[in-house]
Parts: sequence; C-alpha cells; structure tokens
Amino acid sequence: MKRRNVAVIGCGQTKHSSRRRDVNVAEMVSEAVYNALEDAQVSAREVDAFVVGNMPGFGGVAQPEQWIAESLGAAGKPVLRIATGGTTGGSVGQGGYYVVASGLHDMVVAVAWEKHSDSKEAGATTGLLHVGLGNFFHAAGYGLSLKNLVATSVVGAAAGVAVYQAMFYMHRSGCGIEHFDMVAAKARRNAAKNKYAHLQWPGCTAEDIAKTDIVTYPFRYGHICPASDGASAIVVAEESLARKKAKQPAWFKGLASYTDEENQLQSENFGGVGVTDPSEQRGCWLSAVKAYRMAGIVDPKTEIDVAEIYQPFPSQELFFAERLGLFDEGTAWMALETGETEIEGRMPLDPSGGVNATNAIGSSAMQRILECALQIMGKAEEHQVPKKVRNALAHGWGGVTNYSTVTVLGDTPGR
Amino acid sequence: MGYLKDERPTTIGVEGGWNLGAYHYKGSRLLEEYVAGLKHKKLTGSFCPGCARVIVPPRNLCGRCHRKMDGRKTVSDRGTITCFVVSPPIYKGKLKVLGMDPVEIGLVKDGQVVIPVFVKFDGSDSNTDTVLLNADPKDVHIGMRVKVVWAKELQGSLADVEGVEPI
Amino acid sequence: MRRRVAIVGYAQSHHQHNMQKTREDMVFEVCKGALRHAGISREDLDTVITASTDFLDGRTISSVFVGMAAGAFLKDESKVEEDGTFALYYALMRVLAGTHDIALVEAHTQGSTMNAHQVSCFTLDPQFDRQIGVLNDIAAAALQARMYMNSHGVTDEHLAMVAVKNLSNAAANPWAHRKMAKVSVEEVLGSKVLCDPVRELMMSPVSDGACAVIIASEEKAREITSKPVWIEGVGSCQEAYIRDRDLGRLESLKTAARTAYKMAGIKEPAADLDVVELSEKFAHEELMAYESLGLCREGEGKRLIEKGTTGKEGKIPVNPSGGALGADPVCATGLVRVIEAAKQIRGEAEGCQVPKVRRALAHGQFGMCAQKNMVFVLGGNGS
Repeated sequence: MKRRNVAVIGCGQTKHSSRRRDVNVAEMVSEAVYNALEDAQVSAREVDAFVVGNMPGFGGVAQPEQWIAESLGAAGKPVLRIATGGTTGGSVGQGGYYVVASGLHDMVVAVAWEKHSDSKEAGATTGLLHVGLGNFFHAAGYGLSLKNLVATSVVGAAAGVAVYQAMFYMHRSGCGIEHFDMVAAKARRNAAKNKYAHLQWPGCTAEDIAKTDIVTYPFRYGHICPASDGASAIVVAEESLARKKAKQPAWFKGLASYTDEENQLQSENFGGVGVTDPSEQRGCWLSAVKAYRMAGIVDPKTEIDVAEIYQPFPSQELFFAERLGLFDEGTAWMALETGETEIEGRMPLDPSGGVNATNAIGSSAMQRILECALQIMGKAEEHQVPKKVRNALAHGWGGVTNYSTVTVLGDTPGR
Repeated sequence: MGYLKDERPTTIGVEGGWNLGAYHYKGSRLLEEYVAGLKHKKLTGSFCPGCARVIVPPRNLCGRCHRKMDGRKTVSDRGTITCFVVSPPIYKGKLKVLGMDPVEIGLVKDGQVVIPVFVKFDGSDSNTDTVLLNADPKDVHIGMRVKVVWAKELQGSLADVEGVEPI
Repeated sequence: MRRRVAIVGYAQSHHQHNMQKTREDMVFEVCKGALRHAGISREDLDTVITASTDFLDGRTISSVFVGMAAGAFLKDESKVEEDGTFALYYALMRVLAGTHDIALVEAHTQGSTMNAHQVSCFTLDPQFDRQIGVLNDIAAAALQARMYMNSHGVTDEHLAMVAVKNLSNAAANPWAHRKMAKVSVEEVLGSKVLCDPVRELMMSPVSDGACAVIIASEEKAREITSKPVWIEGVGSCQEAYIRDRDLGRLESLKTAARTAYKMAGIKEPAADLDVVELSEKFAHEELMAYESLGLCREGEGKRLIEKGTTGKEGKIPVNPSGGALGADPVCATGLVRVIEAAKQIRGEAEGCQVPKVRRALAHGQFGMCAQKNMVFVLGGNGS
C-alpha cells in the first residue's frame, strides 16, 4: 500500500532553563505552539488536530491538556495524548506523523513539554522514583534491608541505570571517562550556539568538565543533564499542504518505536530484573532497522548526514550512535577523538547540544525531531551543520531502558 | 568562561501539596516463595518452559514467549559480576535514605564506599542486583567470581542475603 | 478511509472491585485471551498500543511494566494516556497509514489502586480550582446534571430510569461489575446522595479491569476470521476546560459523532444504528448523549427513556451490556464498549444479545464532564 507523504513544516520551541517562573504550563506550552504556527505560516484555525504529551508526575497535573485546551487552541478539535516516559516527545512526534499519514487529518500540531520546576524537588518526589514505588513497598514488606537501600540510593543519585549502562559500555568498547568529558564538553559548547538550550558554555573543553567532582564512577557532575522547563512543537502536514506552506519541508521518511525487555527496576511480578545488558538496546537497533528500511537507507554511515541522539548522559551518545548503525560496534569514541562528531565533522552528533545540555523530559525526544527538521530546512542558525543535509536521524530513549523511538527525516519524501 | 545564565521575571508561585498516600498496590506472591527459599540458603529462580531461561529473583511472565514462567529452579549461590558501580565515600549529612542519614543510624561507616553490583548466579540467566562486601574497590572487575554472604540468622526475608563477596 | 480495517479479536476481564490479581497478570490474561479469540499468536502482531494513566496506576510511566504482559516484546509499541478508545484510534491510524497491518490494543485500570475520584482533582487547573477544592468529577457532574435538567425539564426520576435500565441490563452480562436485576426507580433514588442530584447508583462503580482488542487490515482480517467487524467511521473531539465551556451540552460528542457518521455514510442515526454502547459515567450523560448522537432532538432525551425506546427490546437499544454504570475500569471502559458493540454484531453477546444487529456505535470518553469524546461506528459483513 502506498504511504501518504508527510512532512514537518514548522518548528517552535521555548527557551529552556531550570526555572521558567515567568510562565505557567499553559503559557509555556502555547508559546511553543504559536512559535511553530508562526514558523509554518499557518493560523490555529487551519490545524485539524493535536497530539500532546508530557510526563504528568513532574508537573503534578494529570492530563494537563484538558486544563490548557483553550490556550493551545485545541478546544473543539481531536486531541490525542501520548505519554511514554523519556520517549514521550518522540512518541508524540511520531503520533503526529500517524495522524496525518492515516488520512484522517491533513494538518496537526504535535507538542510536548515538561515543567520540572513545578515540583518542588525536581523529579525527586513525584517523578522517576514513582516508576518503581509500588515494588519498593512490596519488597520492603519482605524485609528489604536498609543497607541495600543505601546502595540503591547511591546509584539512584546518578540516575540509576545510566551508570550501569556506562560501565557495561566501557567494558565492552574500551572507552574511558575522558571520552565522556569530551562528549559533555561538546554538548555544552554546541548548546551555546543554540539560543533555546539550557546549559550553555561557549568554548567549553574536556578539561573544564574533568575538573568537576565524581558523582558515582564513571560520572562527574559535569556529565549530567540538567532538569529543564520547556516545550517544543512541530506542525505536521500532508504533501500538497506541505509544498504550499514550506520552502523546504522536512519529510518523514521512516520511523519506529520498538520496545525491549525492562531492566533493573522491578514490576509487581518482579519482572524487569536486569535480564539483559542495559547498553545492548535491541529495541533501538530494531527501530533503526525498520526506520532505515522505510526510508530506503541502505548504509546509514554514509547516508545519514546528521543525528540527534538522546543522551542525558554522555556514554549514551556513544553507544546509541553505534546501535543506530552510524558507527561500527565499539568505535564511536574513536570518531569522537578525531572530531568526526563535531558540528563541522563528518557525522555531526547533537549539534544542538542535545539532551545533555537541555532536558525537559517530555519535550526532549521531540526536540530531537525538531532539531533534525531545522537542519533539513536550513533554519538551525548558528548550529546549522555546514554540509547539505539530506537525511537526519532523531532518536529518543526512555522507560526503564526499554523504550526507543527512531525517526528519519529527509529533504525529499519517500525513497 | 562558564555557563551562560539569564534573568527572567517571575509570576506568583502557588504552593500546593500532593497527597499521594492513598495508593494501594497489588503485589504477587512470588517474593514469598523466594524468601522462603532464602531461609534455607536457596536462591529460587523462575524457569520458562518456552525459552529455558532462569530468572532470579523469580518472575511471573516471560515477555519473549508470552507465557507464564511456571517452572522453578534453584541456582547456585556463587556467580560472576557482570557490572559494578563504585560510589564516592559516603559522609555524614551527604545522603538521605527514607529521610534518615545512613551514617548517623550506623548503616555505613563515615567515609565508607558502597559497591552495588550485578551478579549472574551460576545457573541463572539474569543479573541480580546486590552489593559487594569485603572487597577492595580497586580489585573489583567485571568477571570477578563471588559468592553470597548469608546473614548470621536466617529469617526468611530479603535481608538474608547481605550481599556477595569475592571467592 | 484509506483502507478497510476490522476488529478480529477481543477479550475482557471480569470487572470487579479489588481484583486479587496483579496489574500485569490481569493485562496478560486479556491480551492472551484476545490473541486466542482471534486465533493468532504474538508473533503476528505488528504493533501494540496500550492505554493507562500514571496517576491511576500509581506509577510514573504506567505502561513500562505491562509491555511484556501485553505481548509488546520487541514490537513497535506506544501508549496513549487516556481512554482505551483513543488507543484504538491510534492503532487504527497506524494501520491506515499502511505502516502496520495487525495491531493489539490494550487498556486497563485497577480502580482500587487509587481512588479515581481523587485522581480527577489532579486534572483541575492547579492554580485555581484545585486550590479552592470545591470540584472533583462528581461535583462537576452534578453541576452538569443540574444545568441539563433545568434547561430541559428532566427530573430525578428520568436519571433513575437510566440507572435502572443499565443496571438491570448488566445483570445479564457475565463480565459486568454492578449487576442489579430487580433494581427499581425508588431504590436508585433512595441510594446515597453523593452530590445532589447524583446518587450512588447513578454513578459508575470504579472497577478493576482490563480489555484487549485486535484489529487488522482488510487482507489480514479476511485471513484471520470469517466474521470481521469493520470500523466504518471514527470521530473524536475535545472540548475546552470545564470552566470555559457550556457544561449543559456535550458539544464535543456531537462533533465526534458527526465526523464518524459522515465517514460511515449515516444520515439517520436513529434508523441506521441497531445498537449503541455508551460510556456514561453518570446517568444524566446518557440522556445528553442521546441528543448529541442525534438519536433524538435536543431536549427530547427524556422521552426515549420514558418510552423505553432505548431499552433492550426498544427500537434503538442503548447499553444492553449495562454500559459504564455496569462496570467502569476507567481507562478500559470505552474499549469495553467497542468489544460489546462488536459482540452484538458477531452475535456473541450471550444474555445481552439484541436481534439483527448490522451496525453499532461505541462511545468512549475521558476527562471531567465528558470533555473528550470518541465515537466508533462498527459494521458487520452485511452492511
């Protein structure tokens, strides 16, 4: 069956920072929506439907789109709420594609956001901890010792699974902590060129990062992503509208979101005990395979021009780049050393600074799609990669290491 | 040059509580079986008749085969470290566990290092997370052979496994 | 629609209070049941969409541990955070897009995990309504009921008649939660007043339950079953926030129905539909829905219940399964309606069966005072 050609025709995001105390959720989200509509040169009335999402635990509001419907301009229209944890933004962006590709609607706005500062201790009380809270109480009922809890807290402080992932990857690939310094420095340096990013540090070097304390080996304070407030939105349209409205639409060429087995955290049935290597990421690999097949990409190493990888921790940029087929197994850190992943490099990774510099969880994976669209449209301003971008790869990651979203955008529709 | 920061105007902040004390989760009986085994120094795992994997501690469902893991197998209390994390020294006032300071209540010594590890017990296919005891942080490596440190008095609770130590 | 899509299999749990099963076991059983009903295996699925909410499940990323139970291991998966009909809508779009052929849709809530009415407070404007603490979903529904009753001369008895119809219908439904074969109008009116005019028996019971539906593209559907239930029309709409809208009418349901009717080619809903399954969380919503769905003119909803037009033996039976008043596993409720409608078309509805059903409507809602609505028009082989 022939697929409908669908493209991103407008992008809008808010300035991300640790506390957007100048706006409430409704104002922040509509800021992104209206920036996107303005970018696409369409009015709110032309939009047929909305796809929205965030992680409700952080803002403390359930189904916030009900409250903010009017501010979004979504009242009286179909609204689909998608929330999948860390990949929320990616799932929402892909939801935007499916709504248009289904033929049910012709133009939609997909918007994702997070306002961490609305919960007093960002993410601590109501956020990620709640993923396993039920199981924790369950285990406590069977005499979970406090000593083990100390161990959990120590790792939890550096965002749990990422530490294990990094250790697995280091063992497998031979990369060192200095490579994480380099990735983090690159993220902050690139973010300084992106006016919407959060942690901006012009000219940041690996030495600057290396001066910060170790939180839990192998992570330093300088490696860890911030908790940001922010929103991002894209306008998605079918072919004839896209060609009319945008000079260079960013076409959806391939997408997938495969899920893997849960790791580490446990469920009611004690599922999810660390069965697999959390850096193995088969879900990501399968998603990439499907997305490339849809896009007609045979050799991602040469055909992908820029990639936005979901890397709240620097180790993730490296192993995900390998999982996505951009580098051979265990070689991404070597490419990093030679500067291949810089904005001017052969395979620029996260020219926007990525999640490592800006992390408004719900919005993070959406930003990857949005940044890829900007690169294709040539609107990335200071962090625009110098070469012609034909295919860009947007990645999202989340859940308890098991969710992945992979989206390939291109400058021409289809194959 | 350091991080760039910008100033923004603020609106009125509204303080609001969020009472989450009302949850009533449902648990499975699997842990009961597991801790019953611990009392006799046995590590019980669930066995999937579909793919023959053994998971410790036991779990109910196999996602790959989409079936119940109704078999049970006892695995060895010796195993191999598949991953580890070395914490920075824990000092008084630095860490809170359930609102308490672990140093103050005597769970860890001031300045002690904690080493959470993943262990693959011989005969199992899963990584079980626990802590490494009686070891020098410098010696820890992936592939290190370890065995369970059992509590002095076994009570049939999760605390019966204090951790693992090098063989 | 770009291609024909059919429902080919389904299963639901015995909805009940405080089910003695973990969330995962419950989900596993309905998904396995739906696969068995369709006669396919997990390997045949292209995509899995689940529906649940973090607040109701009591955990961040509510879908994260049910993926394996739902058969989503290494499958293209996603989750919508609202009623199950929206998950079906998303799955349908994935199939229509031509990227997937067979999809499993799962929805669940264990209402006993957290009081669903308490959760409803968290959907309120946090800076105003939540601080004032006057509203929750019951209070808001009571306001809505009063507005509706006042403008159309509807009495408490009319609402009680809706409850009597649905609760006695539920008695014949083996999966329902609140079954009351011999309930009377007096008994409903005599039940506890929660927030006048809403009484206990006029409100849906919060249940523990789950359900799963499998849909497939035309080619696959014909391979899988000889009795596919075609999705002929779909429509969805969300209204403004409760304070920003006219509470006295279900405008969004009207829009959703109009979209679905247009797609399905329905001109006279009262004549063209053989059975209707509604998610009425409160009795008055059913009367309002009659009007929004075009089964009668505005303000005439009470006549349908008075004359018994919507009874099991009536001209347009509504909720022969007992509807949401019979069982309300919050996120699964709408998807259960889809299953009940499909069962009617396939002639599998057992005690709830209505004769000669060719076309059925299933409705799902989410949010306070039915802020979001979803309408599916389903048809059998004959239509």
